[in-house]
Amino acid sequence: MGETTPVARRYPARSPLAGYLLRRLGTSILLLFGVTIVTFALTNLVPGNPIAAALGEGAASNPATVAAYVEKYGLDQPLPVQYATYVGNLFQGDMGTSLHTRQPVTEDLLKAVPATVEVALGSIVVSLAVGVALGSIAAYRRGRISDQVVRVISLVGLSVPTFWMALTSFNLFFLQLGIAPGSGRLSPIYAPPPHVTGLYTVDTLLAGQWESFVDAMAHLMLPVFVLSLFTIGLLTRFVRTSVLEVLDADYVRAGRAKGLSGPRMLFGYVLRGASLPILTIVGLAFGALLSGTVLVEAVFAWPGLGTYAYESSTSLDLPGIMGVGLVVGVIYLVINFIVDMLYGVLDPRVRLG
Amino acid sequence: MRNKNRVAAIAVGLVAAVSLAGCSSGSSNGSDLPSSLVIDTAFTLETGDPGRNYVPTGYMVSKAVYETLLDFSGSDESTPVPGLATYEQNDDATAFTFTLDEGRVFSDGSPITADDVVFSLERVKGMTESKANFLMSGIEVSKVDDRTVELTTETPSLKLPALMTNPSLAILNSEVVIANGGTTDATDAAEGFLNAESAGSGPYVIDSIDFATQVVLAENENYNGDEEIDFDRVVIRSVSESATQKMNLEGGDSHVAVDLSGDQVAGLSGDVTVTSVPSAQTIFLLLNQSPEVSGITSNPDFVEAVRYALDYDGLLELTGAGSAQATGVIPPSFLGALTDGVEQDLDRSTEQLEASGYDGETVTLEYPNDYPVGGVSFTPLAERIQSQLDAAGITVDLAPAPFTTQIDEYVNGREAFSIWFWGPDYADSANFLPFAAGDKVGLRAGWTAEMNPEIGALASAAANAVSLEEREGAFSDFAEGMQESGPFIPLIVPGSNIATADFLTGVAYNSTWTMDIAELRAK
Repeated sequence: MGETTPVARRYPARSPLAGYLLRRLGTSILLLFGVTIVTFALTNLVPGNPIAAALGEGAASNPATVAAYVEKYGLDQPLPVQYATYVGNLFQGDMGTSLHTRQPVTEDLLKAVPATVEVALGSIVVSLAVGVALGSIAAYRRGRISDQVVRVISLVGLSVPTFWMALTSFNLFFLQLGIAPGSGRLSPIYAPPPHVTGLYTVDTLLAGQWESFVDAMAHLMLPVFVLSLFTIGLLTRFVRTSVLEVLDADYVRAGRAKGLSGPRMLFGYVLRGASLPILTIVGLAFGALLSGTVLVEAVFAWPGLGTYAYESSTSLDLPGIMGVGLVVGVIYLVINFIVDMLYGVLDPRVRLG
Repeated sequence: MRNKNRVAAIAVGLVAAVSLAGCSSGSSNGSDLPSSLVIDTAFTLETGDPGRNYVPTGYMVSKAVYETLLDFSGSDESTPVPGLATYEQNDDATAFTFTLDEGRVFSDGSPITADDVVFSLERVKGMTESKANFLMSGIEVSKVDDRTVELTTETPSLKLPALMTNPSLAILNSEVVIANGGTTDATDAAEGFLNAESAGSGPYVIDSIDFATQVVLAENENYNGDEEIDFDRVVIRSVSESATQKMNLEGGDSHVAVDLSGDQVAGLSGDVTVTSVPSAQTIFLLLNQSPEVSGITSNPDFVEAVRYALDYDGLLELTGAGSAQATGVIPPSFLGALTDGVEQDLDRSTEQLEASGYDGETVTLEYPNDYPVGGVSFTPLAERIQSQLDAAGITVDLAPAPFTTQIDEYVNGREAFSIWFWGPDYADSANFLPFAAGDKVGLRAGWTAEMNPEIGALASAAANAVSLEEREGAFSDFAEGMQESGPFIPLIVPGSNIATADFLTGVAYNSTWTMDIAELRAK
């Protein structure tokens, strides 16, 4: 029997991408914990009396009602105890009860978030399609008339106040031209579809309500149009700049010298090379769309996250404000996580670094 | 190529369908009337339980679905009229006997009895966490027989009949509510049920409630009251932006807009009718009487100097249709309201200012800058007051802040000089007695009972009056006393503007439930 040589124990090789994603996931969880502390602390630092704001004049002067209210919402507990209770409840999906709507915040947000997601998704898809097209055209035709026109469009999109654009477009397309429906997510003649995803366009289709689906699509048009204008302006600028940088790169010049051109050149080489900064701005823009649509939602009576945030803050609804803060924090964390993940997929240097 | 054509055809078809949907929104059912009556309002809706409700949209919904012992006819809020019952009172105004109408039924067809009345009122009284709980304070309820109930109070309470018009004190089907968790104490758990279904006797029943978007009402098939409704489906939608309400109405997407400002109704186009009346809100200036809070505002001569320095007509220019000068702490539609308000008198103001010893110090005016009342924004109002007082020799600095941060300072009496507002919880002049020295609003101005016992006596006389004549005189005396020596300067009663499509009639403003949906009729 010959002497055996020790063999090094072999572990399954972990891919660099998996390690990278695990690290990012761990960071996100820590950040999420930080978000709960920040939202809780900031919310409780706001000056004002939530009891007076929530109960109103008559009820706030009734000691029995105030006592019952304070006990019900745990407002008599020390702040650390309130925070511990809040975090403990969060693990069970309980974000507390809104002082404003008197409904569980989780239930409120499960209705509000899909409404905003629906309009934000529509907007980001339109913005991506138009922004990438316009930015690429401007870069390819740098200095020409078409470039100037695109840059003006971009400037207008970035400069026009969204609230004004919302009111003006609603007036023009609904009131004057009659080609857009009134406010809200559905016409009053239709009942909301059974809740599955919360996205009316999807839920109406799942329920086989074709007329309601068309109506939901019609109601989506104007908010998407208005929200897209700013994002299109932003994306067009970034795409133009990024594509211009890539167009001067050696590998693009080499590709051209070998006869590559048209869509293959654009999508296969140029846009791929320019994708990292574009991805960054798309992520930020999508986050902004999900969390910053207050004014547009107000004009179109769109019952989304922005409306809920506004109503919570004006009524000093602390659980509501914390719920919105947490959801917005999670939205940005998730988007950043996805963007980082895509970085890793698109650029090997990132996952190996 | 064929696939591309098919995709293009589908896309064109979808766009056409969506555009048609845009054009056809709000379509009618073939007759002249729309299939649904659509009402746009900025939602204040927290519950479908009338006993827990305390906010305007909730009142509007409750009024259509439930009935109360007494009611008001149209926009006349001076005298309660029979609702589900008629009533009699004793000479001391401490015992009120209510007799139910015969044959009235709930939406499930079961009869309305005295047991339902006792349960409904006792339930509100027992639910201490309900915002409406205070309405039943000091009232005892007892059943006399199957159709008769007696309500008693320890002291005279001529406000009680007005209280019984409040939709929070609606009569519920006790059997149904008890079966779904209802009790007459703090353990009541019927809210969840009442958020989805109704248990009342009004002309409508709840079809669906979404607290963020809309309430849908359907006709109560078993209703056997006096109202004859023209619309068997009503959609009350949450539209917070008044500019959107205006465009929805003009474009035919809605039929009633509840929250338009005076300027907006002036600019309305299309086939629209506007009902503009003074609301029940009063916007006023507060000058704190506590020397610890402010030396100069607690000087009675300074209060008088400010009172006569203001050009009230000039302030009214900032408001729109329906608004009026506040003639006192009691608004025009209530018993005891004064006919004439204060008029500007700069000579008198100058005399009082000299007597006060004012030496030109800057007085800070605080106000909520994000909470318009009846379409009146406080920032331009404060700026106009600053300008008018400057012309009278009083230097004012403006200190706006959000409502939620400002209200705590106001409620706790820490503001020296501020703009605030007051509206009634129920339709009775007793709502304005808290302005008295030592009472709730008086104390917010640092005005203790010892500072003006005469006002306290006038308020007590008004609260304890036992006849209508005595009551009216007592409230007038109270309002006059407040104008002469109170630390409040009533400024404006903002207008209430309800705009409707031209085919509608029957709009009547009410300070509690805004309007009775069941009274909206087609012309």
